[in-house]
Amino acid sequence: MNTDDLIASLSADLPRIAPGAAARRVALGLGLGALGSAVVMLAWLGPRPDLAQAVATPMFWMKFGYAAITGLILALLLTRLSKPAARLGALAAVAAIPFAIVVAMALMRYAQAPSEAHRAMLMGHSSMLCPWRIVAIGLPLLVGAVWAVRGLAPTRLWAAGMTAGACAGALGAAVYAIACNETSAPFLAIWYTLGMALVAALGAVAGSRLLRWR
Amino acid sequence: MDEIEPRLKGLMLAGLAGEAGPYRRLLDELSGLLRAYYGRRCPPGLDAEDLVQETLIAVHTRRATYDAGQPFTAWAYAIARYKLIDALRRGRSHLRAPAEEADALFASLGAAGGAEAAMAARDLERVMADLPARTRQLIRETKVEGLSTREAAENHGMTESAVKVAIHRGLKALGGRYADPGQGGSG
Repeated sequence: MNTDDLIASLSADLPRIAPGAAARRVALGLGLGALGSAVVMLAWLGPRPDLAQAVATPMFWMKFGYAAITGLILALLLTRLSKPAARLGALAAVAAIPFAIVVAMALMRYAQAPSEAHRAMLMGHSSMLCPWRIVAIGLPLLVGAVWAVRGLAPTRLWAAGMTAGACAGALGAAVYAIACNETSAPFLAIWYTLGMALVAALGAVAGSRLLRWR
Repeated sequence: MDEIEPRLKGLMLAGLAGEAGPYRRLLDELSGLLRAYYGRRCPPGLDAEDLVQETLIAVHTRRATYDAGQPFTAWAYAIARYKLIDALRRGRSHLRAPAEEADALFASLGAAGGAEAAMAARDLERVMADLPARTRQLIRETKVEGLSTREAAENHGMTESAVKVAIHRGLKALGGRYADPGQGGSG
């Protein structure tokens, strides 16, 4: 097929493209992924038994909010990374703001607490489980993110893969926050963030291969 | 650049709104720019015209990723660059064969009559044997039976874009087999 024929063929019967199609695809992938993550969380761990009381405490919302807001900012960043030559602007830096706030709160709480409470603050009772649970719960979200981005046109595959992973990890952590009953800010800053970072690393390694498109 | 950018962007926006005429002018003009781009960069072993075609296909099938707030040329060249890197990464073999040769086969299929056409049709089935079943079916329907891509798309529940791309790649793989029977294009 010569190039002129190809052009004639591509431009024949041209449907209209609705604006925002790329963002809708990312939202769909993450939405279906979040559904899968919620199913994994409910079937495997179940919501924390005291959820009804917990939602009245600031710590629940700090955990959920940290993860969910980070995840939403990263979803915007992921949409941009799915478009060739899109400018990222300050968004990559904005994604770190919730983390900075959580770290500041963790340092403050830690400094105020008596030293015999420090170990419990840092380790909680589930520090060895928490990051891995976030990885497992984040996996369906990662699948959804990769599906969405692959169908668009990422040109920086490592960055797109890492962002897909970080976004899946953060939204997965928000889902996990419904099951988790840890209550300290230092725990959140360390172990939730570690869980997100693990999914981000997985996304970077897997994404650079899985996101290739033709 | 000052003149090219606003003109191409205008054509692209019209294309996104579904206007075939401006969109065709866009692809025409873009193919010239891409030829110049790959002419300078294409290493030996890669076919620059194939890269032009791959990039036009990508521009078409991924056009939903273009943002009206963004320079069009930056977007298109980012795709061109990705396609060059992707071709290098895949190795060079699959971009060796232009699809024109397979097209010539179909032309002879149409022109010849009687026994010759029957033989050509049999040859065609033989060389298509390694293509995916659906691609084979699409090529048969559009190139031999004369269906439009829209009709073929409806038959298979595919989008028209996907049909066009599948046929193009199928023909390219056929061309590769003809040019060098030892290594059929597997892309």
